[in-house]
Amino acid sequence: MMFFLEIVISGLTTGVMYSLVAIGFVLIFKASGVFNFAQGVLALFAALTLVGLMEKFGLPAWLAIIGTIAVMIALAWAIEYFVLRHLVNQEHIILFMSTLGLAYVLEGAGDILWGSDVKVLDIGLPQGASDWLLDSYGLYVEKLEIVAAVVATALVVVLAVFFQRTRIGRALRAVADDHQAALSIGISLRTIWIIVWSVSGIVALVAGIMWGSKSGVQFSLSLIALKALPVLILGGFTSIPGAIIGGLIIGVGEKLAEVYLGSMVGGAIENWFAYMLALAFLMFRPQGLFGEKIIERV
Amino acid sequence: MLYREAGQFKTSYQADQAIFPILQDRWFVVTFLLAALAVVPLLINDYFANAVFLPFLIYALAAIGLNILTGYCGQLSLGTGAFMAVGAYASYKMMTAFPDLSIIVVFVLSGVITAAVGMLFGLPSLRIKGFYLAVATLAAQFFIIWLFYKVPWFFNYNATGQISAPPREVFGILVTGPRAEPAATYIFTLVFVAVFAYFAKNLVRGRAGRSWMAIRDMDIAAELIGIRPLTTKLLAFGISSFYVGMAGALMFAVWLGAAESGETFGIDQSFLVLFMIIIGGLGSILGSFLGAAFMVLMPILLKQSMVDGLGLAAVTAKHIEIILMGCLIIFFLIVEPHGFARLWQIAKEKLRLWPFPH
Amino acid sequence: MSQVQKTIGDTLLKVEGISLSFGGVKALADISFEIKQHEILAIIGPNGAGKSSMLNVINGFYHPQEGTISYRGEARRRMRPHVAAKQGIARTFQNIALFKGMSTLDNIMTGRLLKMRRNFLWQALYWGPAQREETEHRTFIEKIIDFLEIQAIRKTPVGRLPYGLQKRVELGRALAMEPELLLLDEPMAGMNVEEKEDMCRFILDVNDEFGTTIALIEHDMGVVMDISDRVIVLDYGRKLADGAPDEVRADQHVIDAYLGVSHD
Repeated sequence: MMFFLEIVISGLTTGVMYSLVAIGFVLIFKASGVFNFAQGVLALFAALTLVGLMEKFGLPAWLAIIGTIAVMIALAWAIEYFVLRHLVNQEHIILFMSTLGLAYVLEGAGDILWGSDVKVLDIGLPQGASDWLLDSYGLYVEKLEIVAAVVATALVVVLAVFFQRTRIGRALRAVADDHQAALSIGISLRTIWIIVWSVSGIVALVAGIMWGSKSGVQFSLSLIALKALPVLILGGFTSIPGAIIGGLIIGVGEKLAEVYLGSMVGGAIENWFAYMLALAFLMFRPQGLFGEKIIERV
Repeated sequence: MLYREAGQFKTSYQADQAIFPILQDRWFVVTFLLAALAVVPLLINDYFANAVFLPFLIYALAAIGLNILTGYCGQLSLGTGAFMAVGAYASYKMMTAFPDLSIIVVFVLSGVITAAVGMLFGLPSLRIKGFYLAVATLAAQFFIIWLFYKVPWFFNYNATGQISAPPREVFGILVTGPRAEPAATYIFTLVFVAVFAYFAKNLVRGRAGRSWMAIRDMDIAAELIGIRPLTTKLLAFGISSFYVGMAGALMFAVWLGAAESGETFGIDQSFLVLFMIIIGGLGSILGSFLGAAFMVLMPILLKQSMVDGLGLAAVTAKHIEIILMGCLIIFFLIVEPHGFARLWQIAKEKLRLWPFPH
Repeated sequence: MSQVQKTIGDTLLKVEGISLSFGGVKALADISFEIKQHEILAIIGPNGAGKSSMLNVINGFYHPQEGTISYRGEARRRMRPHVAAKQGIARTFQNIALFKGMSTLDNIMTGRLLKMRRNFLWQALYWGPAQREETEHRTFIEKIIDFLEIQAIRKTPVGRLPYGLQKRVELGRALAMEPELLLLDEPMAGMNVEEKEDMCRFILDVNDEFGTTIALIEHDMGVVMDISDRVIVLDYGRKLADGAPDEVRADQHVIDAYLGVSHD
């Protein structure tokens, strides 16, 4: 029983990590209709910058974080200026492919700027297992993962408020619906996009910190982007709470499958299980758990 | 002035419907094919075959396949790598189990097997559309790669998990295996790809192509014309996978000689071929070729100019190459989202008027 | 325009007690009427009255919760659109449902899809049966192209055509299906007087030469009065009137709901 619980918790915490990346996707998709494949690479780039600032320039953690945030905002500005501005109102697949190109650019740039070896990321987050949980319940849960869960929750609350209550939030939703219509009522696409990509970049930084603290900053971080797809399928492409729930379901489902089913077939099921799960889901609910049903009119 | 159609009257519908209705186009293609068939083999060597011509032709074939599914029929697929793997492993099993079977038959049958697999994974497409369908194909991608990695029957229980192509001949000339001559492998692949490109062109300009494009453009209206969405989509998945599977088999047997599931046919391949058709032009057979040429040649040119020309370290050059590829992709998407094929069309239209400005 | 006397045949399509709802919204409530062979029937009514929904029901695109449709004597309630197409029902759409990525020629050729037999293997080969089939159908639709006077825009991608021409191409595609029943959803919307006259001429010619039964939704009363044999008026999903144009024009309910009275 303990073992099962540990697996579930492990799955939940992995799920939270997925959600962090998925939230970044949702933000950008919600506000610009772009499926940002580069989200994973953004997380990687953010983490690399953080580590680089700390190692190469010897900055203390808090200063390095501020520095990285500044870099991500500058990056958002650059992306808007060089890429997004020229692709207003193009088809989704074109926008998606451009983010693929962006992923390549960021990957190469990260390698050149900060080097491509695996890095250790230590910004003072608590490491090791939670002693309290271990002593009281015999459960092995990493403190880091608890921190990640708390951070993710806080992030969701902040973002939800941001979107629903503020003027900018409304403008973001308008832009997601229809670029040209938003332009015609005077919404500055430029500003909106820079804001969104900055926020997304900061979310990516958070995700990068969490992942990086856990398993080091390395290339595989960027592949998380692909795992976010099943999360988004379940949670819907435009729902932040959905991203959390989707992430949790995928995280737990994956871990359980790996342990219980994987042992039967030789392991490594984690590679594809999430996608199969999402696929099975789609067959019953083509618009995902929280997605909106698209009614096609003729 | 060179490119005028003046004087070329089509007197029958057949003539109007020809693949190259303009005489100058026909001359161009014939010359090009003759050069490809007669001149290149005289000049080719191992390096050019393996670095340029074989990958170009093979990826072009795969790109045609993906273009049929994504470009003509509008069904986004990220599973190209896995389907190439299916073709490769199918050809491997057949080559090892039936050593006397002609390799042409092996390749075609590999395509057929891949078509069946493709249609299976295409079944969800009736319910699911767009990016959501991409997830179904990703499921195919990761699952199939895992399968070929885990189940030893696929690689004949050998210790390394790799598959290697045994030597096979066509009309008495070796085309697979380490001792095959580059000219032989080149000509074989060229003819193979040219023939199947021709078939593909016929398909897309006929009833199948129109059904696919109808589904892509407005699948509701398509149904009201009498097109049956499931059969049309399944046909697209089937034919597309057929081409992609054959490309995978060729890649394994004729070009690389050996392959390993995750390394050779991973998700990178899926993205690579997708890039090719987007940059080359969605919904265009010519675009498939142009896109393949671009993605094969560009890294080579970049590396040569950087390492040989500027003297950069190979590792740095690789990073810069990645950055440049990304930039080029974004650049072309901005400048001509419909790809090289559209640029080519525009060039031809301008050529019709040349040297007059309007 | 006076109409040449023509023979109107038996009932081709009959709808009885059709009710259609979307969630809580009732689009059609207990609609019954007939369409007779060879006639031109106009369906009119204010916006939102359920006219397009009615066509969609006949087509099989929407499935009514209640009621039956009989086509050529066979009753059915649920039908898939491509089956309706096979049975000889073709239609055009209010918002033009052309395949924007294809040329005029290809779009109209898609209308011939149901009549093309050769499977994909012959098509891949092209030389031989598939080519003959292509040419045969091309010959047929060229007559439609001549009829609709759209020769010049054969190879133009339809996305680039002006609205009026697109509507004509859409009509061409429907005609290519050689339908028995042609459903036209506001075929003249957005057209100027000349274009409307052309469209009227096409509709009348199709009805005259091929005997095609036509049901059209239209807002232009002049057109409706001139070319239709019978008029049905819908309002809020209910049928208000059903009869010859002059009768309907004088019907008080119709005047109140839709037509209005001219104030001098």
